[in-house]
Amino acid sequence: MKVPIEEGYFRIPEGPDESPVLLGSYSPSAKTYFWPRRKRCPITLDAVEDCELSNEGIIYSWTFVLLPWLGSMEADKSGGFGAAQVDLPEGVRIQAPLEGKMGDWEIGQRVRLVTRTVDRAENGDELCTIAFRLLEAAS
Amino acid sequence: MTMERDVYVIGVGIHRFGKHDVSRRDMHYVAGITALEDAGLSFKDVGALYTGFIGGAMLDGVTYAKDLGLTGLPVVHIENASATGSSAFREAVMSVAGGSTEVAMAIGFDGRLGNVAQAVGPRRPSMDTNLLPAAFFAFWAVRRMHDNGTTVETYAKIAAKNWNHARFNKYAERQAEQEITPEVVLAAPLVAYPHTAMMACGAGAGAAAAIVATRQVAERLANGRPLVRVAASQMQSERYQPGHVFLGAIVGPSESTRITANLAYEEAGLGPEDLDLVHVHDAFPIEELMYYELLGICPEGEGDRLVAEGATTIGGRIPFSTDGGLIGRGHPGGPTGLAQIWDVTQQLRGESGVRQVEGAQVGLAHMMGAGSVCVVHILQRES
Repeated sequence: MKVPIEEGYFRIPEGPDESPVLLGSYSPSAKTYFWPRRKRCPITLDAVEDCELSNEGIIYSWTFVLLPWLGSMEADKSGGFGAAQVDLPEGVRIQAPLEGKMGDWEIGQRVRLVTRTVDRAENGDELCTIAFRLLEAAS
Repeated sequence: MTMERDVYVIGVGIHRFGKHDVSRRDMHYVAGITALEDAGLSFKDVGALYTGFIGGAMLDGVTYAKDLGLTGLPVVHIENASATGSSAFREAVMSVAGGSTEVAMAIGFDGRLGNVAQAVGPRRPSMDTNLLPAAFFAFWAVRRMHDNGTTVETYAKIAAKNWNHARFNKYAERQAEQEITPEVVLAAPLVAYPHTAMMACGAGAGAAAAIVATRQVAERLANGRPLVRVAASQMQSERYQPGHVFLGAIVGPSESTRITANLAYEEAGLGPEDLDLVHVHDAFPIEELMYYELLGICPEGEGDRLVAEGATTIGGRIPFSTDGGLIGRGHPGGPTGLAQIWDVTQQLRGESGVRQVEGAQVGLAHMMGAGSVCVVHILQRES
């Protein structure tokens, strides 16, 4: 079974083809959304409401990481991975790994949130974070 | 916050940065004792000590301070990610400015495993280590290429400049035997597109120290050298900006630099046009490029032109990273901000040898801590 590696950031979809759901906050006084959840509105310091955010967005920027550790010359064991900052329709920017390979990505592409298994619990559960998957090819 | 009384840098010391096996304790001692010798002081004269380090055990600061003497002085451990050394320096400045002591000292140190990389991983996967610093600044670089047409060659020129500044700093981690060209930088292995390994900061060990004091003490110990006044000391944490990123190893808006620098300019009564040299958190060249604009050195979007003109090289209009910066001198988390103070102080005294910025009167030192903390100091020479 897939479970979030940490509680409070997203929930796992019920169907195998559904996207994870980001757990965010909305500040009525600032009319602004946030992710992850805030204890108070960081702008007005007023109370916030729990909300769920969109699972699709637009690439704001991207990169391909090959040597993840500063000063290291050792390549990532996976052979490198893509990563992106993505703007959601609510005005929230989040960053996470991006599926695909160099040449696949460009700013402005639409992406969808997916789960990414990064570890396994003692009971066999798959521990997941989030990642992005392209919804359209580069132009 | 402004200072209640003027504060001066009266001594600086350093231990070579790099991938050597000198212990953290020995590096701490060398940086501290050379700063004391530079100031002409005994450790008995120091009223407070602020130690900055990221790696190591919780009492390393006060333990290592015993090597300098058991004088009973207050010792406080400061940690603020990459801005640790800058934050320790600021605390020393504030302790003198506020009147709690006449002389205060800051020592920053970290070993090879006590650098930024250790601070953010590797460890058990989690949501906030999903991505690493290399990715965060690469996002800035790719977006800048999209918005401004910046080329990878521009990033390579900045990195090559800092490697070449470091060639003439015997305390720097990276001391290339020959001049480094942008082509060599571009040919290095990719870290995170568009950054190569030679564009990434060094991550070795090192230590640096600074001693600050009142004007009365500084004048008494000047011995014919010009005084170096702390004209501004400002620190800010994040303020919300559209597109704010809250989760990751490195977060926070680039705008923090503009806000903190403007506060520092206001405190100093100076502007970017008054600066003769600048140090910034150049962990990757995209940062230095953006800080040209965020610090007001040039208008928005014109940083690339500064690079093309060679304006930020020693001998240029406004030299940046005159000791090699994070890319060339290296960037263990604890001492980096204090190494900047070491270089700016020596530059303002006219003691930097072949790296000397002619006629330097005012220098600025800027550091970011994990994107969330920004520290800016402005030092000014007084004859």
